[in-house]
Amino acid sequence: MQTSRTFVKRTRAGAVVKVVREHYLRDDIPCGAAACRRCPLRPDAPAPSLETQPGGAASSLCPGPHYLLPDTNVLLHQIDILEDPVIKNVVVLQTVLQELRNRSIPVYKRIRDVIQTPEKHFYSFTNEHHRETYIEQKKGETSNDRNDRAIRVAVKWYSEHLKKIEDEEKIQVIFLTNDRINKEKALEEGITAYTCEEYIKSLVANPELVDRLACVSDEGKEIESGKVIFPEHIPLSKLQQGIKSGNYLQGTYRASRDNYLEATVWVHGDAEEKEIIIQGLKHLNRAVHEDIVAVELLPKGEWVSLSSVVLQDDGQNEDDIETEEEKENILKTSVSKDMLRPTGKVVGIIKRNWRPLCGMLSKSEIKEARRHLFTPADRRIPRIRIETRQADKLEGQRIIVAIDGWPRNSRYPNGHFVKNLGSAGDKETETEVLLLEHDVPHQPFSQAVLSCLPKMPWSITEQDMKHREDLRHLCICSVDPPGCTDIDDALHCREIENGNIEVGVHIADVSHFIRPGNALDEESVKRGTTVYLCEKRIDMVPELLSSNLCSLRSDVDRLAFSCIWEMNHKAEILKTRFTKSVIKSKASLTYAEAQMRIDSATMNDDITTSLRKLNKLAKIMKKRRIDNGALTLSSPEVRFHMDSETHDPIDLQTKELKETNSMVEEFMLLANISVAQKIHSEFPEFALLRKHPAPPPSNYDILVKAAKSKNLEIKTDSAKALAESLDKAESPTFPYLNTLLRILTTRCMMQAVYFCSGMDNDFHHYGLASPIYTHFTSPIRRYADIIVHRLLAVAIGADDTYPELRDKHKIADMCKNLNYRHKMAQYAQRASVAFHTQLFFKSKGVVNEDAYILFVRKNAIVVLIPKYGLEGTVFFEEKGKPTPRLDYNNEVPSLTVEDTTLCVFDKVKVNIMLDASNIQHQKIQMVLVEPKIRGNDVPANLSTETSSNNEPEKKKRKLRK
Amino acid sequence: KRGLYRKRRGLYREGLLSDDGFRLDGRRPREIRSLRMRLGLFPRADGSAYIEQGNTKVVALVYGPREVRGPRSRSAPDQAVLRCRFSLAPFSGPERRRPRGGEGRGSDLALRLQQSLEAAVLTHLYPRSQIDVYSDGSHCCTGTTAAALAVLDAGIPLRDVVCAGSAALAEGTALTDPNGAEEAAVGPGLALALLPASGLLALVQLSARVPCERLEPVMEAAADGCRELHRALDRELRRSLRERHGEV
Amino acid sequence: MAAVVLSEPEKLYIVHGVQEDLRVDGRGCEDYRCAEVETDVVSNTSGSARVKLENTDILVGVKAEMGTPKIEKPDEGYLEFCVDCSANATPEFEGRGGEELGAEIASAFYTVFSSENSIDLKSLCINPREHCWVLYVDVLLLVCGGNLYDAISIAVKAALFNTRIPKVRVLEDEEGSKEIELSDDPYDCIRLNMENVPLIVTLSKIGYRHVVDATLEEEACSLASLLVSVTSKGALTSIKKMGRGSLDPESIFEMMETGKKVGKALHVALQKVLDEEESLGTSRQKVGFLG
Repeated sequence: MQTSRTFVKRTRAGAVVKVVREHYLRDDIPCGAAACRRCPLRPDAPAPSLETQPGGAASSLCPGPHYLLPDTNVLLHQIDILEDPVIKNVVVLQTVLQELRNRSIPVYKRIRDVIQTPEKHFYSFTNEHHRETYIEQKKGETSNDRNDRAIRVAVKWYSEHLKKIEDEEKIQVIFLTNDRINKEKALEEGITAYTCEEYIKSLVANPELVDRLACVSDEGKEIESGKVIFPEHIPLSKLQQGIKSGNYLQGTYRASRDNYLEATVWVHGDAEEKEIIIQGLKHLNRAVHEDIVAVELLPKGEWVSLSSVVLQDDGQNEDDIETEEEKENILKTSVSKDMLRPTGKVVGIIKRNWRPLCGMLSKSEIKEARRHLFTPADRRIPRIRIETRQADKLEGQRIIVAIDGWPRNSRYPNGHFVKNLGSAGDKETETEVLLLEHDVPHQPFSQAVLSCLPKMPWSITEQDMKHREDLRHLCICSVDPPGCTDIDDALHCREIENGNIEVGVHIADVSHFIRPGNALDEESVKRGTTVYLCEKRIDMVPELLSSNLCSLRSDVDRLAFSCIWEMNHKAEILKTRFTKSVIKSKASLTYAEAQMRIDSATMNDDITTSLRKLNKLAKIMKKRRIDNGALTLSSPEVRFHMDSETHDPIDLQTKELKETNSMVEEFMLLANISVAQKIHSEFPEFALLRKHPAPPPSNYDILVKAAKSKNLEIKTDSAKALAESLDKAESPTFPYLNTLLRILTTRCMMQAVYFCSGMDNDFHHYGLASPIYTHFTSPIRRYADIIVHRLLAVAIGADDTYPELRDKHKIADMCKNLNYRHKMAQYAQRASVAFHTQLFFKSKGVVNEDAYILFVRKNAIVVLIPKYGLEGTVFFEEKGKPTPRLDYNNEVPSLTVEDTTLCVFDKVKVNIMLDASNIQHQKIQMVLVEPKIRGNDVPANLSTETSSNNEPEKKKRKLRK
Repeated sequence: KRGLYRKRRGLYREGLLSDDGFRLDGRRPREIRSLRMRLGLFPRADGSAYIEQGNTKVVALVYGPREVRGPRSRSAPDQAVLRCRFSLAPFSGPERRRPRGGEGRGSDLALRLQQSLEAAVLTHLYPRSQIDVYSDGSHCCTGTTAAALAVLDAGIPLRDVVCAGSAALAEGTALTDPNGAEEAAVGPGLALALLPASGLLALVQLSARVPCERLEPVMEAAADGCRELHRALDRELRRSLRERHGEV
Repeated sequence: MAAVVLSEPEKLYIVHGVQEDLRVDGRGCEDYRCAEVETDVVSNTSGSARVKLENTDILVGVKAEMGTPKIEKPDEGYLEFCVDCSANATPEFEGRGGEELGAEIASAFYTVFSSENSIDLKSLCINPREHCWVLYVDVLLLVCGGNLYDAISIAVKAALFNTRIPKVRVLEDEEGSKEIELSDDPYDCIRLNMENVPLIVTLSKIGYRHVVDATLEEEACSLASLLVSVTSKGALTSIKKMGRGSLDPESIFEMMETGKKVGKALHVALQKVLDEEESLGTSRQKVGFLG
């Protein structure tokens, strides 16, 4: 207010209304240079971030000290380089940030993170509000030109401003732009300007950076060289018109995994989703998996059906477009008319959904070549051409590459090298790959996120005690698996004066630490869940919270959210109340320890007696739940331990389940149900709940048929009937059958999902046979629970609400993301298990094992090997070998290979080994050993040879080309 | 309805506060908009004032005190009757509003205006008379301040110059004197009319959902804005008086 | 209308003065008072102007909005007039009084601008039958101090002169579906052709003579007046008799002639001011109500 401000009006013509916004110009915006004494510094302002003696890489172009000032395109395309620790002291203009935000939110967020990292010495300069750097749009100037000029004005201002610093060595400002005209103009105005490439190449000490330059060519120039392969993309404005008028269809492009010349486009729309086939290189027209594209339908005469041909793109040479055409002809096999599906061609891209890709380098055969092809791990992504000088080093490594563009004259998209993850097959590297491929955010938490954490040493303050009950006197304990550091639940149980029992479930009060809307909250919602891999845990919240402040460890004061019931001895709930609390757990037990206490008659301390009471109640509750029709697909002898809620196998290894496991689980289920009822009655429109839809009856076909083949009847009309008939389905001669049936049953189930109560009518949880359910008990590892905590806190008046919490559309959007994150976490988990299984068999070598047939397919059988809890597919078709006679019977179901008939649940013997022929896609290969099939006999001792034979054969093929 | 929701969210995402702590228009959270004013611009009225606060422009006129018109029952035996009108120009918003004969939205704002002024005007000095106050502008707070100035210009004794200001809560930070874009994004927030000398409030109106514990900083921000406004008004008043009548 | 209460001798004094071509404030019968004009005073309008004619204070805002052409004129845009005589102009407008006057003035302006070529309405058409610009001319009477019509017409002309309509392009694809695209350049806009925009000259009959630009006091002495709208070339676009008195045909012709003469001069004077103001461009310090 002390500063004098000029008032400038800026008009922004929106649709047709003239919008006038105030715009203030200031004198008090510092330049951010530490050496500057002229700029006013507010007392509360952070220290200037640009160093007095700019460190960073030495440039041969500009040996003196300098700051960098990139324009929008440099930031947008070269963010990978700018994130490198070598690049320091960069000024990011407000104009640039604003443009960036409009063009790419992910890059914008990345640069914001960089600015907040102190070691990077990036400074964001609010040039649009600085009196000396603000400019108005001139007549005849586009807003792009205006912004370019604003950037140049700011560069000019900086170089002049820095000259005034009284230091022996003047700091220069270097303008980085890849725009030719802009650079020329800058040079004319006396600004030191380089292209990003020029500058990076001048960093002689850091040659590796050059590889990571994105190759962005001017759109206009690309036609000059080489033959045009692809039709032009229609500009966005025209596409939108076309979509409106129905000429084009908008959809998500999904490349085929097996055939690089084929893809489908899922057309968006309210009506049932429509699928359009795209076939042939030109029709695919440079679309990449997951892009949003516009498609034009071909006339009916040109419609095709999806071919079943497997085609891998293995060409190295760019020019053999003719061979492509030949290949395309292979696809056009004659099919009957009714098999034809709508077919179209991609006419334009609405939105690219390019992400950094994991994969491996296919080194060019030409010696000393710099251009190489990169093969992504995801087979749906085309190969990418990158330029690198370190091909020798990168061969055999898992690397990350980003796509930069796909010119019309290029067979493959262009990209640039981003990062080397390590050698393929390496445990760390592969873990990184599977995290990246499953879109699991796993970067270390950014500074911005960490700054939201409470300062240590942390203690409970008076303020914290507001709306909180002191429950430290209660005998609370936690029961978890051994080695658990993120304890989010604890229990207590005591008899009260009126003879009833008070049971409390105490959940870590994570929402106390994660406040809505801050960086920590944003990061947690982005992660959605903690991901547990075989050897690694990717936390949803920083460790300080997950393993310390929120973990309900014994003998320390912890904040909790408590759900307390008054029950009678029949485990019937008489009263339920919720409160935020402070607790002090008396013991952190493992399941085994707890079990031991319950079982040992000599122990009669407080903890043990309350555990016994809890256990007694849990048993009653469990029985009641099962009587109500809840499914119990876990069974002590199954090697899979099933989560009774998600029906996912939790553990592969044999695990003896103790009563205490189910005791804890029982109370967690009860707490979740109680909370679900409360938040739904309080907020019928925007409660976050979880449902498990009943599977459509047809899902059970496979189970019913399989049981029938063993003369058993499985009733599927209700969950209860199903549970009962499963219990009865025993075969005295085949004790393992029941387990197999239960495993099959899990495959018939639907996914449980989060949803917003105001957007759905069906709340039922099929697996638990509960009319309503939610997640409340694991806020440390699931974000849904945090939202539920917030809702519950508002419901009991213990915390404040905020607009997003009461917005059912936002809650619904969030559910969508959380469901996606949970699914991806699950896939990542499975991939991690698969990888570790591979490691296991790599060391184990080739083995023969007993197995049971789980499913029968048209050309394969799926078997389960109980010994390892491993599932695998045995194929009867092999490349380069005559296909055996296959006869599939859908009714039994069975598959007859040559003369041998294989039925569901048959006991067989398989040969297991690791197929490492494709280093990027290693897999477990299974071959049937018993019963023997004519022409398919693979003796165990030979199999090792076959796998080693594979390798040279492939190489030979390559050489012939 | 869905459309509205989308629009609001769009603005929200844009961020009302930059990482460097600047608002969309370049102000810091506790700064008020630029202020310009003038008194006595319409000689035909007994008092008049004009205030320009950012893009908000308000004209206020006062007629009176004078004899009560119409039935005598409208007059009060012990004090003057304050009658307030508030109108908005059809072109005051980004989109043209259809003029709605006299009443409509204006009346609600007029009530707020009346409430704020009644606390300040020493009405008991003018029994059986009426004072008509007209305020014309797009922003209720600015309107109230302008009306108070017009009353001042009319030479009617005031307890204090009413300074009205508002504050809104955006992303956890209280923003003093929100501009149009900010109000559109987070709602109008809290409006205050402060009697600066005594520090008393003539009007408190909260029209947005604000968590109880956040109310204090929001209130603080609004009051801050009012005091800042008062300082600016005081400066301007002295300057304009000096211009008109020489040194005071 | 705002009433000024005059005594008989006062009226007589005014009438006699007019007879001698010497009015109370020293002007001759055909002299205008000094008017202050400023354009672009309200930033969020397409065009605006404030006119101060002695005590009369008028603010006009023009907003261009997209609408559909009228069925009978599918290839033209149109103008809408709205006059807000709110009670703050003068307490007499309290209640219905202001509304009636507002409607009367608005209807007068519809008549004045109804002439075919007063404004090129075809230039306001974006695409026939579907989109056109509608210019909402909103008149705000801040203070009413006599000679409303003339003052408003000056303000309307100034505001229309100041009006800038964003240029839009109609994109049409083969199917015939249309999309409207706005220009990115804020300076890229249409200006209206002002050549035939009329100004109103009100001639008030006082005694046997008539005066232009009557003050409130003079209006109180006049029983009838004639509204003449004149273009800058001196062409009459409309004539309207106002007031409760009557006029004899002969004096009407006389008044028309005076109206034409005064109107032309008024156009010249106004245009000069507007051009001067425009030549200053963005560097002009806006005065608005602060001056």
